[in-house]
Amino acid sequence: MKILIPVDGSANSLRAVEYAIGLASALREPPTFLLLNVQWNVAAANVKLFINQDTINDYYREQGNEALRAARGLLDAANLAYQYHISIGTPAQAVVQYAEEQAVNLIVMGRQGESRLQSLLLGSVGGKVAQLASMPVMLIN
Amino acid sequence: MLEMLFAPQFWVDVFKIIVIDLLLSGDNAVVIALACRNLPLEQRKQGILYGVGGAIVLRIVLTFFAVSLLALPYLKLIGAILLLWIGVKLILPEDDEGGEGIKAEGNLWGAVKTIIVADFVMSLDNVLGVAGAAHGSPLLLIFGLLVSIPLIAWSSQLVLKLIDRFSWVMYAGGALLGYVAGEMLVGEDLFKPLLESQHYLHGLLPVICALAVLIIAKLLSLRAVESQPAIDLVDEHISAGQHNKNEGK
Repeated sequence: MKILIPVDGSANSLRAVEYAIGLASALREPPTFLLLNVQWNVAAANVKLFINQDTINDYYREQGNEALRAARGLLDAANLAYQYHISIGTPAQAVVQYAEEQAVNLIVMGRQGESRLQSLLLGSVGGKVAQLASMPVMLIN
Repeated sequence: MLEMLFAPQFWVDVFKIIVIDLLLSGDNAVVIALACRNLPLEQRKQGILYGVGGAIVLRIVLTFFAVSLLALPYLKLIGAILLLWIGVKLILPEDDEGGEGIKAEGNLWGAVKTIIVADFVMSLDNVLGVAGAAHGSPLLLIFGLLVSIPLIAWSSQLVLKLIDRFSWVMYAGGALLGYVAGEMLVGEDLFKPLLESQHYLHGLLPVICALAVLIIAKLLSLRAVESQPAIDLVDEHISAGQHNKNEGK
């Protein structure tokens, strides 16, 4: 079984990781965990005129690794195998795209990421993923 | 000056300026963060500070420069055409080709130079939009500048998040820029005789320009590709108990 856990480094996303770890112990065979962090494509056309692509990728990698760090720590501490992945794009779409590519069986994620106000105004990534994904999505409060 | 605060037109203009500032705030924050990346840690803060400061000064100078240019004959016409194009560009999906950027400089002044040059290029659209929407009111101009300054320093994701949630925001923004372009045309001395005889054009021209932006963008985007898929950057496999080796990576 493949479980995808998209994380953004927020407390909510870490709760999703913890929940998924708890879930693993209830399964007969240990699942494959996939961690994913999506970086907004903030450095598009205009920025590329002034900043080298390597520098931009380094930046995304640094931000992505930072967002993944705590979640990786939890899985490391539980001594579980996992893959981690950073992609660049619009979060909900990128999560679903990766989930389809990897043919995961389940997505476990926080109901809302960063702030309550933001998800109220802009909608939560979790809700959007649940809407777009073809596989079951578990939203953790 | 105070009585204008009670005029509905004033608040309409304020709203226009906020929207233009938001949508055309540019990617300054990203460039600033990225340009300072390769600096030694102690210089990074300094670089960001100088970069933001320089960008703000530049924005102020450019805005007043644009306003005085727009007072010249014919230049309102050119400004309006540019604004129409900026409106169309806003709606069109960005092509992600992009030239090879300059390698981020390892020294403070190099980084500051990159920030200022980038800001010069990227703030032209914003400056022109705000100058147009303020139509000569110093109060509105200063207001427009004040709104744009915090946007220079942060919020690079804000616009992306807005578009993701409300995809019509870009169309509204493009139409607004077209509308402002139309208002600029109305103010062009060249057309004064025509507008005096055909008074209804005052109201009609901005609407026509707004529609023109939408139609041109629609026609051009017909050949544009569908939304881009996410790009894969990092893909790592960690087997159980392997993490000690990966420390510090």
